[in-house]
Amino acid sequence: MNKTMINFKDIARLTDEPLVTLRVEDLMKLPYLDEEPPIEPPKPKWLETYDFSLDGHTPFDVFPTPKTNEEKEKFVFGFLSGLEKLFNPQANWTFLKIFKLTMDYCVKCQTCSESCHVYLASGRQEIYRPTYRSEILRRLYKRYFTPSGKLLKSFVGADVELNYKTVRRLLELAYRCNVCRRCALYCPIGVDNALITREIRKLFSQELGIAPLELLKKGTRQHLKVGSSTGMPPTAFTAQYIEFIEDEIAERTGRKIKIPVDKKGADIYLIHNAGEFIAWPDNPAAFAILFDAAGINYTLSSEPLGYDGVNYGLWFDDIEATRIGLKHLMIAKELGVKKIVVGECGHAHKAMCVILDRVLPGDFALPQIPRESCLPLFWDIVKRGRIKLDPSRNNFHVTLHDSCNVARLMGIVMPQRNVVKAVCAKPLREMTPNGTMNYCCGGGSGFAIMNSLNFPQCRKKLSERMKVKQVLEVFKDVLDPKEKKYVTAACSNCKGALRDAIGHYGLWEKYNILYGGLVELIVNAMADIPPFLKWEFEE
Amino acid sequence: MSNLQWFLVIFGWFSVLVFAVGVAYKAIKFSTMPQNLRWEVYPVPHEEREKRHYGGSYMEEIDWAKKPLHTSLAGEIAEMGSEIFFLKRVREYNPFGLWPFSMAMHWGMYLLFTWIFLLLVEVILKVSAISPITNIVGIVAFISGAFGCLTLILKRATNSELSLYTAPVDYFNLLFMLSIFGTGILSWITDSSLINSRKYVEGIIFFNLSDVPPIVILNFLLFELFLIYMPFTKLLHYVAKYFNFHQSLWDDAFKDKGSPKDKRNLEQVGYKFFWAGPHSLPNKTWLENAQDLVLEEKKK
Repeated sequence: MNKTMINFKDIARLTDEPLVTLRVEDLMKLPYLDEEPPIEPPKPKWLETYDFSLDGHTPFDVFPTPKTNEEKEKFVFGFLSGLEKLFNPQANWTFLKIFKLTMDYCVKCQTCSESCHVYLASGRQEIYRPTYRSEILRRLYKRYFTPSGKLLKSFVGADVELNYKTVRRLLELAYRCNVCRRCALYCPIGVDNALITREIRKLFSQELGIAPLELLKKGTRQHLKVGSSTGMPPTAFTAQYIEFIEDEIAERTGRKIKIPVDKKGADIYLIHNAGEFIAWPDNPAAFAILFDAAGINYTLSSEPLGYDGVNYGLWFDDIEATRIGLKHLMIAKELGVKKIVVGECGHAHKAMCVILDRVLPGDFALPQIPRESCLPLFWDIVKRGRIKLDPSRNNFHVTLHDSCNVARLMGIVMPQRNVVKAVCAKPLREMTPNGTMNYCCGGGSGFAIMNSLNFPQCRKKLSERMKVKQVLEVFKDVLDPKEKKYVTAACSNCKGALRDAIGHYGLWEKYNILYGGLVELIVNAMADIPPFLKWEFEE
Repeated sequence: MSNLQWFLVIFGWFSVLVFAVGVAYKAIKFSTMPQNLRWEVYPVPHEEREKRHYGGSYMEEIDWAKKPLHTSLAGEIAEMGSEIFFLKRVREYNPFGLWPFSMAMHWGMYLLFTWIFLLLVEVILKVSAISPITNIVGIVAFISGAFGCLTLILKRATNSELSLYTAPVDYFNLLFMLSIFGTGILSWITDSSLINSRKYVEGIIFFNLSDVPPIVILNFLLFELFLIYMPFTKLLHYVAKYFNFHQSLWDDAFKDKGSPKDKRNLEQVGYKFFWAGPHSLPNKTWLENAQDLVLEEKKK
């Protein structure tokens, strides 16, 4: 295994050569796979326009390398200005305490290192260690903003040179961490290196307007302007997608179900990730079948933003997160519902049920507009016997992937397990580790939707690698393709990452491993309708 | 008393004062920082016993916002205790085997403070009966602390992955602590009953310092300098740790309308939004920014 020796001064290296060149043979070994696609270098035409000097990958097609020194200086100056604001109690009231304490009191014991799936997957390359990017930021902050750093310089570690390359590589480093916060669980002092990642992202977005295309311009901006980050306008939602799903349900189950939309005074406002309607319409269809069968009084919304529960701001920008969240809550108020239930989308869970709690006035507090996960409701429906189940319908091997946002960051661990155990014929196969200690799918914090330039290759090889290893290990005794295997994940981004990884590593063709949501499993086990699950894989 | 002895007495009191004020100042500063967003990570040890075990939360229930929150102080104390006294996470997860050395250093420090406390009890309350215990505590503190500091220095210096992250000031901190423990060992070697250490503490407390060997003076002087230095360095992480866990990683309480949390929140959403990105409105407040539905990005 070839580990590139890196120190902090390398971050400022004035060269376009990557600090680390990824090679398959250096990465964490994957069991039960003899070969995998090689790592391709960036296309030559990209090298003329974009910066690949961290590890030969980038998602930043929105940020071509500045042509003049003045533009580069402006970028560096903007970074310094943003860095100062991160430490300002008014500018960064949302996270100052955790951020500052992490910056000031990390003792660099590296206890968190082994928690990180990206670091481990890379073959423990230094640049992916959870503390590496934090230490760069810390050393820059010390050097430019603290008396001890200005006075004592390298004695206190304030020795990282600031130039265009430093800042550019730091921007890139902020998108080599899934912000899964597993490292925070390992830290003996409770510092949070994943938060540092998010704060760096925030600095670039809120101060310079720089974030990957799919997160800002085609993400939060599009969400707020069009109504959905998918680009789906409200008219298409009802006239196209809802009607299509109703027709599908009728065709596959024989039931004519009218999906309630904009129904005032319903008990529940159900909000899906709009990506489900496009990529996995069986998921909202299964919700409709289940809720109809269980007699749930609910509604969807066709208001702009009301039919798309995602909140990409959670990953990189506080104000964008608040704008989107506020609109969701205002729609719930207008509908006059008793509570919001979030569909199978991990980060929407976290944004809605946790983050929004303290960014808006009391009228939007949780007791005023309760927000809950769909998972306890599923378990309640199953537990109370509100639908007739035939678990033999799900007579295949099932493992459960925990969304980090749902399990580790909200403590929702058992309802989904109880459901799987109740609706499946075979025992639930738990990955190691699982629950709150799970590994991220590799798609977290926006990675699953970031497809610009050659970033997908980075995602497949680094961030998704650990999950592939876990999936293969959990099914190791039934890898024969005659045995059907299903990875269930109650999260759109996780499903996106699983689809990506299963396709890239050939797990479907080789081992008959499929992925899907949780509600589909429940509906597949409903005894009074035909089987619902389609055993087919689409990339 | 000579001028030097007066200086030592005054410096002794001064160091304690700076330490107390410094720690209190930092703790107040941390606690008065803005109320951060909820950012908990599970397991949260104040959850009910069963949920605590597997990392569950009240959000696993339906209609949780209508139900009273059950929290267990005992759970938090047990978790914090296992971290403070046994460095649980270092033991379980540290890939460099730092745990025994870190334990030795930390326990050296805990016992050093315990030793000073016992010396104070002895000289103030005139309780000589505990002297054997005091001596054992002191000797174990010196040996354990010196061993811990020395091995941590060696670990950090000889392991390339650790040394990369270790700035000169980190070695200085360990050497500083090593000097306290080392001079403590020398004091003990030259005075097995540590009687001179008692004399020194008695002299400081009663403003009547008698002659004590230079090594004892050096031992206490280094400790007093450490008291002055510690609150302003990352050695204060034991205070930061409290806030990290209690006000961030384990802070899962949701606010209610009109609650103190809500009032503080209201104040904060009224702060001006300083950021300069194209999708921000810098002359408006946080809340005005959040409510902005015009969505026309300002042109730079």
